[in-house]
Amino acid sequence: MSGARTGVIRDFDSKTAGVKIGLVFVYLVCAVIVLISLFPIFWVFMAGFKDLKEYMSSTAIIPRALDFSRYTKTWNQLNITNNYLNSLYHAAGSVVCALIFNGLLAYGLAILKPRGYKAVSSLVMLSLLLPATISIVPLFMNIQNLKLGGFFIPLWMAAGANAFFVVLFRQFFEAFPPSIIEASRIDGCSPLQTFYKIVMPLSKPICVVVTIYAINGAWSDFLLPYLVLGNGKWQTVMVRLFIFSTQQTINYDDLMRSVVFSMIPPIVLFFLFQKQLTENIVMSGIKG
Amino acid sequence: MKKNSRRRFGKWRQEASAWLIMLPGIILFAFFLWAPLLQSVRMSLYQTKNIELTNFIGFDNYISVFKKSDFLQALRNTFSYTLWSLLIGFLIPIFMALAIGETVRGKGFIRTASYIPNILPGLAAVLLWSAFFSAEKSGVINILLAKLGIDRMAFLSQEHMVIPIIVLIATWKGAGATALIYMAGLAGVNPELYEAATIDGAGIWKRIRHITLPAIFNLGSTLLILQIISIFQIMYEPMVLTKGGPDNASLSLMLLMWRYAFGGRMEFGKAAAMGVIISLILLVFTGLYTIVNRRKTEWE
Repeated sequence: MSGARTGVIRDFDSKTAGVKIGLVFVYLVCAVIVLISLFPIFWVFMAGFKDLKEYMSSTAIIPRALDFSRYTKTWNQLNITNNYLNSLYHAAGSVVCALIFNGLLAYGLAILKPRGYKAVSSLVMLSLLLPATISIVPLFMNIQNLKLGGFFIPLWMAAGANAFFVVLFRQFFEAFPPSIIEASRIDGCSPLQTFYKIVMPLSKPICVVVTIYAINGAWSDFLLPYLVLGNGKWQTVMVRLFIFSTQQTINYDDLMRSVVFSMIPPIVLFFLFQKQLTENIVMSGIKG
Repeated sequence: MKKNSRRRFGKWRQEASAWLIMLPGIILFAFFLWAPLLQSVRMSLYQTKNIELTNFIGFDNYISVFKKSDFLQALRNTFSYTLWSLLIGFLIPIFMALAIGETVRGKGFIRTASYIPNILPGLAAVLLWSAFFSAEKSGVINILLAKLGIDRMAFLSQEHMVIPIIVLIATWKGAGATALIYMAGLAGVNPELYEAATIDGAGIWKRIRHITLPAIFNLGSTLLILQIISIFQIMYEPMVLTKGGPDNASLSLMLLMWRYAFGGRMEFGKAAAMGVIISLILLVFTGLYTIVNRRKTEWE
């Protein structure tokens, strides 16, 4: 993995002692960055192998034994399978809503541009900066009044009103050559047909990115899900973890194992789609 | 004549179908974001019972929110969060981007490693760090300090330490992703600039000062305001980590709002008043953001 230097120090800089020391220092700093980023994650995976007594008394990072039965025991005792499935439903519906509703809105704002679209556009941008949590109280009351509590519907729908996704789609759509859209119109496609026959198939890269963000968002969110799902049977992993963490008496070893359970899917997702995610941040200059 | 009117009708139909296509999205945005924002204003002027508005009471909710000592504390804390996040959260990603940008071998790995905390669920990250800062014997930070011969400490019960610690945790989670944006910005700097500067006799430090830092400053002003807006809404970190304690030392405005509504008191009217106050402060920041952004696009 060696290539040209792309930082301040360039290949044409003579390799003086000062430059060499500087580079050693840079790599030291990077080693610290990697250590601080990864060590806590490594630690919690290790902590999950300890039982309560060992967890509370041992100061060693590496557990006495790599005993997977502790993980499986907590998993079964807390019936995490159920929560995992619920989180999966939550994520699946959120992806569908995120792609369709935000995609259509961005299509209108970026390509169709009917008269007055700019008003909607600035309202969407405002929502990017004033997210839903600020007005979570009236939102919660509306959901209660419409008797939508207890199931995923409001959570799925919320994924369809994501200003960040609209901006991502819109940036992508705006780069389309107008001739493609025009050609499809001349071929007799209605605007809606153009959307699902031409625009979406050409937007796979951004659809992948929105899908990953929507899955990760649905998986990680717990405030609105807590208010909507509560202690009911559709409780997701994060809601479970949130309620678990607020209890007065907790077994810390079980808590650490639950933290591990909640971290595994996002980590797997990241390694599968690492390239698309980092490239998108680099291209769009915004992070999720 | 006829052709003209048909064209006008066609134009009208086009506009209508465009709005129809956008309508589902607009309805969802209205339901989840825009209407609740307006409802907050209305609700803040009403007395509430459970989830119903009972009677109009003017600014009474605001007055009783202001009168309680926890409001001033929360306001002070929120600005303290913001200040610490400017010190820690703003500079660390810049240093990271500068350092990682100088590497050649292992660059991809370093970048990936520093990005990973960003993909973890926020709640999991906070619980993980609460184990690190625990006052028990199992607290990792205390174990490390013990190796240096420093006595065990209850970090999260120290009034003057709790906010910087929470900011550090939030920075741990977000810094890698922010650094990535800076690195992208730096990669966009024309390489000839560096060459030309070197030919003109500029050393490494001079190049950092006159080429790299200005490039960062350009991006930084936008990211800075976005960061202020996001740290201003800090809520679940103190909620999970300290419940706003010790003695309200980590209570933020948003957490105070949550407490009014869902902390068992069900004072939704007062919670709405808090929401309106926070929104107003954020609107000022948002205005700043638009101004900075507009200036930037003018430069480009």
